[in-house]
Amino acid sequence: MRRIRHVTLLLFACAVIHGSVLTPSAIAQTKVPRLDYKERKLANGMRVLSVEDHSSPTVAIQVWYHVGSKDDPEGRSGFAHLFEHIMFKSTKNMKSEMLDRLTEDVGGFNNAFTADDVTVYYEVVPSNYLETLLWAEAERLASLNVDDANFRSERDVVKEEFRQRVLAPPYGKLLYLVEQKSFTTHPYRRPGIGSIEDLEAASLENVKAFHSTFYRPDNATLVVVGDFDQKQLDAWVDKYFARIPKPDKPLPRVEIKEPERTAERRYNETGTNVPLPAVAITYLVPPKGSADAAAMRVAEAILSAGESSRLYRALVYEQQVAQSASASTDLREDSGLFILSAVLAGGKKPEEAERSLLAEVRKMQDSLVSAAELEKAKNQLVTNQFRERETNNGKALALGDAAVLLNDPNRANTDIEKLQAVTAADVQRVMKKYFPDGNRVVIHYGPEAAAPQRAGDAKGAQK
Amino acid sequence: MKPIKVISSFTKALSVLAAVLVLNLPIMGQQETPPPPAAPRSAQFPKPVERTLKNGLRVIVVERGGVPLVSAQVLVKNGGEADPAGLAGLADMTAALLTKGTRIRTAPEIAETIEALGGALEASARWDASTATVNVQSSRIEKAMEILADVVRRPTFKEDEIERQRQQTLDELSVALRQPGSLARYVASRVVFGDEPYGHSLSGTPESLARIKRDDIVKMHAAYYRPDNAILVIGGVIKPDDAFKLAEKFFDDWQKPTTALPAPVAAAVKANASPQKSRVVVIDKPDAGQAAVVLTRTGINRSDRDYFRGLVANSVLGGGYSARLNQEIRIKRGLSYGAFSSLDIRREAGPFIAATQTKNESGAEVATILMNELGRLASGQISDAELTPRKAVLIGDFARDLETTNGLVDQVAGLALYGLNLNEINNFINNVQAVGASDVQQFAGARLDAKGANIVIVGDAKKFADDLRKQFPQVEVIPEAELDLNSAKLRRPSSQTKK
Repeated sequence: MRRIRHVTLLLFACAVIHGSVLTPSAIAQTKVPRLDYKERKLANGMRVLSVEDHSSPTVAIQVWYHVGSKDDPEGRSGFAHLFEHIMFKSTKNMKSEMLDRLTEDVGGFNNAFTADDVTVYYEVVPSNYLETLLWAEAERLASLNVDDANFRSERDVVKEEFRQRVLAPPYGKLLYLVEQKSFTTHPYRRPGIGSIEDLEAASLENVKAFHSTFYRPDNATLVVVGDFDQKQLDAWVDKYFARIPKPDKPLPRVEIKEPERTAERRYNETGTNVPLPAVAITYLVPPKGSADAAAMRVAEAILSAGESSRLYRALVYEQQVAQSASASTDLREDSGLFILSAVLAGGKKPEEAERSLLAEVRKMQDSLVSAAELEKAKNQLVTNQFRERETNNGKALALGDAAVLLNDPNRANTDIEKLQAVTAADVQRVMKKYFPDGNRVVIHYGPEAAAPQRAGDAKGAQK
Repeated sequence: MKPIKVISSFTKALSVLAAVLVLNLPIMGQQETPPPPAAPRSAQFPKPVERTLKNGLRVIVVERGGVPLVSAQVLVKNGGEADPAGLAGLADMTAALLTKGTRIRTAPEIAETIEALGGALEASARWDASTATVNVQSSRIEKAMEILADVVRRPTFKEDEIERQRQQTLDELSVALRQPGSLARYVASRVVFGDEPYGHSLSGTPESLARIKRDDIVKMHAAYYRPDNAILVIGGVIKPDDAFKLAEKFFDDWQKPTTALPAPVAAAVKANASPQKSRVVVIDKPDAGQAAVVLTRTGINRSDRDYFRGLVANSVLGGGYSARLNQEIRIKRGLSYGAFSSLDIRREAGPFIAATQTKNESGAEVATILMNELGRLASGQISDAELTPRKAVLIGDFARDLETTNGLVDQVAGLALYGLNLNEINNFINNVQAVGASDVQQFAGARLDAKGANIVIVGDAKKFADDLRKQFPQVEVIPEAELDLNSAKLRRPSSQTKK
């Protein structure tokens, strides 16, 4: 249920280590292995990507549906996510939760997540169970029981999830507000979890319409990575997926564009369970396919990755104005966000953290980051990417993400070079371009019991 | 529409039946049931190679392809069992402090250097071993090895870092001691192992932690962290020659002390000792929201010839959602969110534990179910339909563990620690497959005899103790305030009762 954090890859240009005992060939050999994928498109429009890897007798199977919370119908926020739940209920030939039994009981696992732009179902099983899981995924695509009982039970579960994720945790509501306040026009402004009102207003007919509109083979990408034979996979895909008919109706896509921000917007918000106040500042940035995405990720790492990062050192360690501070890129198919946030240290006010966060932005606009910081950021991003790709499931996630959100599976291989090529000048350039004052949305978040802030106080935080 | 309806209800009935049995059904036209699995596919895992340095350090290298990551682990062949009497938690603290400052780097400097490499460094102790592990991309392994060697060989154990670590552990313990589940496990260790080396808590108790001094930590490090008591495992995308060269560069001059190796620490409780009188211990915790119920006894050690039978038997009993304990306790009776078992296999026989949590009123009922299920494992039938998925869980978990460099290094290090053939990773799957139903029954009867099993329940005793006594007359009730985890007696003298 979390958003995808896709870290772009690095085609490795090797550093020379002075006085190294490693043989030159050892250094030269540390290149990122390509994801060597095969691609097919079935007559019914379904896309199939596969990567053979026989190093472990396991296989990852994923189905990416190109529908996410931005596609929730108006007045029906939370649908894409609700639907993800319903996909685990009964089908024509499977009783509820059978997919759990078909995976966990054979030495595997399964899960799913709904993001802004996609809904992804994934499992990893011992490789001799591949056919079984292909059958099961085809079964729930083609023969899901979208009935009243399943709808009602999962709606209750999702409402509980809303309470558990948004209402109960101290900053659940803040994350929710970040979505709502950051977008004025684009459907991204409706958080994926939805709202209790919209969920309660939903009818079975609404859910069935959503299903038939978006859950179709020409809106699906099957990704299989691991220990299998390509010919056998092709035969099973033909057997179980090719027979699923392509609907004879249009596939709606969100065309709405979020307008550029022209002036800073500010909000003072409160919640019921807020131990310490917090600040969130969001900037509207281009889609994840943008040429500037790589530089933004490097900036994110310099600001926020680890205890030697700029935000940690400045706000947490030296100034002690924040208990925690972070920067994160939330790049999506349409516009994305760059989010700075901080939870205040005891006794400190949101405007103090806001000043410190903005000061760090300004530093990166005014000066180049150091070579050491640049190298560190790239090391961190690259190593994280490597760790993800150790497993079959991680490889499949990288491939699916590139195929569905960047419209080119090969970008899972080529985006590496972009990251490695980021220079200090690039980082400064994106900081200047995407972080002007007018591109800010600022949210101060505190406990309800506190005296309400006057508009004048909040404005005073700006320099 | 009628004929189609008739066919579909027929095939629906068949599919329900088939879904339960998962048999090899002939394919009749459209497949309506999940296709059964093919025969398990084998895979070849990389073969480790090794050398021993002049100072006695055993160096093992496992090269593999894939994304260019390397994990390097120094494993010292002693852990919590080496804690001196009264100083439970010493090994754990010593390991945790390795990364908190060396002669040439402070704790923040160590963290920054590792971050700059994009790497991860951690150190901890468990039973039988203490480890320090670094994980980085292949091209950064040299610097990472330098830091690994530095933290293992030259930690400074500064007083302020010791205090920070002590406080952190005390904070974590204060949370754990309030939770019926963790508390039950600490008590279970004492019940099974008494005052022997496996009996105390790995992280210590508030009393033992307060006693630990810098000198104790320095002594423990000097006694056990020596090259002839350690193994260095390097795995991932790295050529063996490069790995051995790095090992020599950073560990060759690690001096072997002239003193003898410390004597092996043996737990006195033997796996096959005649069953001791089983105890039923209740810790009365009136504020417990649930009762934690634990069934426990000695299990087996790592060199036991029944090792794989043990793994499979445990998997059948309580190795997952569909295993017997969870079926009986959660699925059939709704008495718990989850009930599982584990066989903790160590240098000496470790504990077998079956555990769950349930409302206080059901404490006695659940304890009886656990006992009965342990008994039934030896006497009842185990069908193929049950055995196959339970073995698949073991194989699947193993295969997924080996997908990562850290997982591969941990598996190899575990084999090296117990003096086993390093190529055993390539025999694991076949060894699990070879275990049959009668093997499981025999193992359960001979090695997990319910007669030798003890029960520990932490909960609100007034809600279950009477019922419990009807099944188990030997119930002992210890009020929480009188509980003493520092000794096998488990009970403080009344003059020392905690407030």
